[in-house]
Order: sequence, then C-alpha cells, then structure tokens
Amino acid sequence: MNNSNQHPINDIGNVNATANVNDNVIGEDNGTSIPTSFNVTPFSTEFREDRELRQTWSRLARATQGINPDAAMRATVSRRRFLLAGGATVSFGALLAACGGGSESTGIARIGNSPEPNELPDGDVTDVVLLRTATSLEYNAIFVYQAVASAGLLSGDTASLAAKFLSDHQAHAEATAQLTQDLGGRAFEKPNPRLQSIYVEPALALITGDNASGIPPTEDPVADVLALAYALETLAGATYQAYVPLLNDKALRAAAMGIGQQEARHAAVIGSLVNPSRLVSSFGLSIPAEYREETDVPGPAYAVPSAFGTQSPIPVTLGAPNESGTRTTVSLETPSLNSMVYEYLDS
Amino acid sequence: MTTPIDSTPATNSTTTPPRRPTSADVELLGFAQSAELAARDLYRRAIEAGSGDEQLPSLVALAAHHDAYAQAISATIGTAAPQARNEELFVALQARFGRNTTQTAQAAHELENRLVVTHRSLLENLDGTEGSALVASIMITEARHAVALATIAGLSPVTDSDAFLVTTDLAPLSPAVPS
Repeated sequence: MNNSNQHPINDIGNVNATANVNDNVIGEDNGTSIPTSFNVTPFSTEFREDRELRQTWSRLARATQGINPDAAMRATVSRRRFLLAGGATVSFGALLAACGGGSESTGIARIGNSPEPNELPDGDVTDVVLLRTATSLEYNAIFVYQAVASAGLLSGDTASLAAKFLSDHQAHAEATAQLTQDLGGRAFEKPNPRLQSIYVEPALALITGDNASGIPPTEDPVADVLALAYALETLAGATYQAYVPLLNDKALRAAAMGIGQQEARHAAVIGSLVNPSRLVSSFGLSIPAEYREETDVPGPAYAVPSAFGTQSPIPVTLGAPNESGTRTTVSLETPSLNSMVYEYLDS
Repeated sequence: MTTPIDSTPATNSTTTPPRRPTSADVELLGFAQSAELAARDLYRRAIEAGSGDEQLPSLVALAAHHDAYAQAISATIGTAAPQARNEELFVALQARFGRNTTQTAQAAHELENRLVVTHRSLLENLDGTEGSALVASIMITEARHAVALATIAGLSPVTDSDAFLVTTDLAPLSPAVPS
C-alpha cells in the first residue's frame, strides 16, 4: 500500500481501492486486497459506500465493456451478508443430505425418492468413431443425390455431374468403412442420424415441398439443389479437414484428406457453374483494390471462397419465399460431439 | 484417441501425438514453405507478363493465397522457415507462366495438383497436430485452386472430369517424403 489516505483506482483488479489505509485488510498483495471494513466518517453512510462502489463498478464496466453498474451493484455482497448466505447454504446442504435416502446410497444427495440414474455410455472420440462419422456423412450425401435423381430435379450436364459425385461418395463410403474395419471397428453404413434430421431432411423439404407441413416447393429447384450440394460438399471437406488434428494415426490423416480434397473439388466444380465470372474470392486478402469484388462480402458460392479451408458454419438459403419475401437459411456445421457416431449407438 | 494404427493395423498404441512440430516436422514444413513461395512467384510472373484476361483478379488472389500459406508456415515454425522459394521448382515451370492465359492456367493446374499430392505426402510424415492441421487447410484449398484453373483453361467438368477431380499419376515434390 502507498502512503496516501486513499488508493486511486488504477486497474480492474483493484475493486476496493477506495478503502482507507487504516482499514483491516486480508491478504494484502498487488493491489487486489480486500478490506474488511470501510472507512467510517460522519458522512460515511451506506450511501457513500454505495456511491464509491458504484463508481468502482462504473470503471469496471467501462473496462469490461457493457456491464451494467446497477446490476453489478446488486451482485455485490457485503462480508456480513456473505457469511449469512454461507450459513444458509450450509444449512440447506445439510437438509439435502438428510433427504438423500438410505445409507447404501453412493450418489449425490437428492430430495425424495427417485431411481438411480443409468450410467452414461462411453463416448470417447476414437479414430474408429471419427471414421464411422465420416462414413455416415458420405451416406448423407448419397441420400441427397439419390433423392434429387429420383425427383428428376436436374437434367443435362448438372445431372451428369450429380451422378459422378454420387459415385464418388459411394466410393468414399466404402473406403472409410474399410478403414474402420481395418482398425477393428464396426462400419456405420447409414446416414448420420442427427445431421439427417437437422439438416438434410429439412433442406430437401424446402426444395421439393412438404404438403403435410405446409411447405411449398421452391420456385427454382436447380438453383436450390446446386446450393445445397455446394454446402454439403463444403461441409464434407471441412469435416475431413477437422479430423486431421484429431486422428492419431498419420496414415489416416493423409487418407482422410485424400477424400476431403475430393469433396472440396466437388464444391469447387459447383461453384464454377454457379459463379463463373469470379472463381476466386478476394475476401480477406491483402491485394490491390482493383482486383477486389465490389462488395467485399463472401459470395454465395465461389469455386475458391477463401485462402484456407475453414471450419465456420456454411449457410445455404433454400425454398420458396414466405409472405414477406424471405427465404429460409439453413446453417450447416461440421459434426460436433453430439453428432459423432459412437460405437455404443449400434447396441 | 485410443485406436491408432501406424502402418500396421494390428497395433493399438495410445500415444497422443505432439501438438507442436517436431524437428523433423520443421524440416518438412520448411520445404513446404519454399514450394509455396515458388508458386506465388510463378503466378506473379504470369500476372506481370499480362496473363489472366477477365480472370486476372482470380490469378491475383491465387498468388496472394500462396503468399498467405508461406506466412502461415512461418508462424508455425518461426525462424527455422527458409523464407526463400524453391528455385528448382520455379525454374522448371517459369517458361509456362507467361502471357498466354490458357497455357498459364494449364501449368498452374498441374502445379496445384502437384502441391496437393505433396501435402498429402507431408501429412503421412508430420507428427505434430499443429503442422498437420495447417497443411490440411492449405491442401483442401489448393484442390479448389486446381478446379478453378481447369475452368480457366477451358476444360469441361463433364467431359474432362478427371482434370477437375483426380490427381492420379502425379508424384509429390521431393523431399516431401524423407528418405
């Protein structure tokens, strides 16, 4: 502490720095000391204490951008209140413990009788789980291309390309299934259930329409199928890329990217069809202004949308416009922990 | 991670791979940086010669991408980065990166596919996950580069699909695979 009567507030950590130097202080060190009482003067009422604290919180709020000082004040607990609250917590804890059931119980205390919770299955993200998830994603893509073909939504060159991409995904699915088995795992040769329900089926419904749900078909099925295919292929490539630092085996990393780079090529081919006048986006690049796009906003589908492969969500706008003219945007994301195909899902 | 294989599927090591590049990784990543700088300089040479036509902004962006890759590799391996282009690669291809946009696109298409194959070989040899993740993020975009360049070269994804989708018959640049 310095020798002045009061400490100026110089940093975020010094919350109680307006305390008098004569106050009793616990743990005095590096300006973050906690005074055990506030200076009492003829006008040092709780109002003054509040005002000083409010000033302190105002500075903190500015420093931390947007904290409401009043809300912060309400959250401030005096030492006495803290001890009272602590006592109440202990008492309530004792009450809970007393309600915890018989002496044989080893679980956490709970009120009343309830069944013992089932043990959660083992959800380790192993190389086998990553490969099973990759296979499931291939089946998501296979499902989409087969559905598009069945519905006759594409024709000519775009239909030929879709057939080629379908064939590639079938080959990828066989390859990842074989790698899974080589590691001693069981291949998962079905669409990823979670991605199917949250992305694929809703997206296809927006394109083909769904009478039961009152969803009209899109006004431009070719454009929407290409947009969905671009997003799904980008998602597949991004997934394999995301797996590289997660896979233990170096040979598997290379094998994954051998497939992932081909998914990226699928996306790029679609991008070159949708946006042929500008194949490579300038977004985020340090290049002269005359070579930039006018808006400098990422476009809908470039053959090359960015310098590096990214893991960011992939938005795709589909379906007929609603009464206000707005179309639905679905945001696709690479599989997270709750969409991995764990081995326990087979049982 | 509990199910790795290391060339032989029967093994069941539980060793966690290192995060930072190993000394062997640094050497491989340094090689990758020199190849990226050669690619950047080849594109710049073609742009200065007047190549690109209506896709000139795309060629400028592609040169900037390869420069960004070199910088990202520098950020990963620090002062060990060579900061110099692969002169052998540059000299071998410079004659094809000239004023003619179609010829440049064909040469660049071959170069990008070669870089993809090279990066895949690197992934088979890199131990550290940081370096592997970076190479993967570069490789996946260079595959897209190849598609864009096939388009600029006037090829059709329907009738010339192999030019867009596969990299067969290409050997990785040495020494991406250490002896």
